Amino acid sequence: MAYKPQYGPGSSIVAENRRKQMDPSKKLEKLRDISDEDVVLLMGHRAPGAAYPTAHPPLAEQQEPDCPVRKMVVPLDGAKAGDRIRFIQFADSYYNAPCQPYQRSYVEAYRYRGCDPGTLSGRQIIECRERDLEKIAKELIGTELFDPARTGIRGSTVHGHSLRLAEDGMMFDMMQRCILDKKANMVKYVKNQNSEPLDKEVKVGKPLDEKWLKAHTTIFHSLVGTSFRSDAEYVEYVQRVHSLRTKYGYVPEE
Amino acid sequence: MTDAIYPQVRIVTVRLLNPETVERVMNLILATEGVRRVILNGPRLPPTITTGPAKGQPNIHEMRKTVKMGEQEVEMQVHVGTILLELENRDVIPAIKAACAAGFGEMQWYLQEGRYMKTDPSLVDYAKYGPYADKAIIGMADPSSKKGPTIIQGIK
Repeated sequence: MAYKPQYGPGSSIVAENRRKQMDPSKKLEKLRDISDEDVVLLMGHRAPGAAYPTAHPPLAEQQEPDCPVRKMVVPLDGAKAGDRIRFIQFADSYYNAPCQPYQRSYVEAYRYRGCDPGTLSGRQIIECRERDLEKIAKELIGTELFDPARTGIRGSTVHGHSLRLAEDGMMFDMMQRCILDKKANMVKYVKNQNSEPLDKEVKVGKPLDEKWLKAHTTIFHSLVGTSFRSDAEYVEYVQRVHSLRTKYGYVPEE
Repeated sequence: MTDAIYPQVRIVTVRLLNPETVERVMNLILATEGVRRVILNGPRLPPTITTGPAKGQPNIHEMRKTVKMGEQEVEMQVHVGTILLELENRDVIPAIKAACAAGFGEMQWYLQEGRYMKTDPSLVDYAKYGPYADKAIIGMADPSSKKGPTIIQGIK
């Protein structure tokens, strides 16, 4: 019988959203248009339109050893061209952000090839060859994984995911990389992810409303969203994992 | 050491406060004339960018503004989330609550009584202020900061 991944337990809307985001057969809902140039500006690794700096010569020009694995694995476009490895990093607010660090790593590992997702407590980084990263970043920003107010693109000084929101509903950012234009109800990035001021503002869309966020979040929150304890199936699963690990270490044989 | 005879309260809001809101609420609170000491708590807003390739550049931040409390100008160094007050006596608490209700408007907030300010000098306080420090300033400002606490003028 062919293996069919279940992606995760739970009967709540949060669990359902988690499964939906992780399942590569389900298309992520596109919510906003962001241009290639804007993605490059937000990440700040190179000037828009500049050639991709390289870390090594293109694979076609290199003498590749006769290796069966190299023949089997098709290199990414960026790897073929010898691009540098670059990154984009996100911070997601506890207040019903559409995605969250552990979820992001699962989503990226299921959906994208040749990337290196890494989760930390309040932020999540994805590393990849530069031109492939730009494609991934464009999807991560343009789809339902991103909310302009509750998700931040932050290379360093990410503090804010666990804090109360500001009066205008934006997540705290010590460097205030993005601001909410109240008249247009539009979030604009004025600094790139490394806090360097941008020459032009990058618009990333309107903040999503509370109702949408509550229905699409992948974070349990007992005060503003769906509480973890309301999902009995999830609680049972987590308790089972905890129990097996406690009793048997890493050999969970009942 | 601060005597514990002065009641202390903390005001917590559902959102982090804009400087304009802090100014409005603080002026209403200070007008009650029953406040001895104030600490505005919240995540820090550094004047310069602290990490990364832009390190050292000025950190332009809307929340880092100078506001006027009484006659005194105060530069906001934090994005205020909690207001700690030490009061002359408990009788002033209803007036503080009324000031908060007027100042915060529709925003949710609550006020709790307890002990929220530093009572004993720590090692760092000792190193900064010495053994005969004014007890009223212990815990009022970050001891490692070059700026001390602000004395608010013109409220009585």
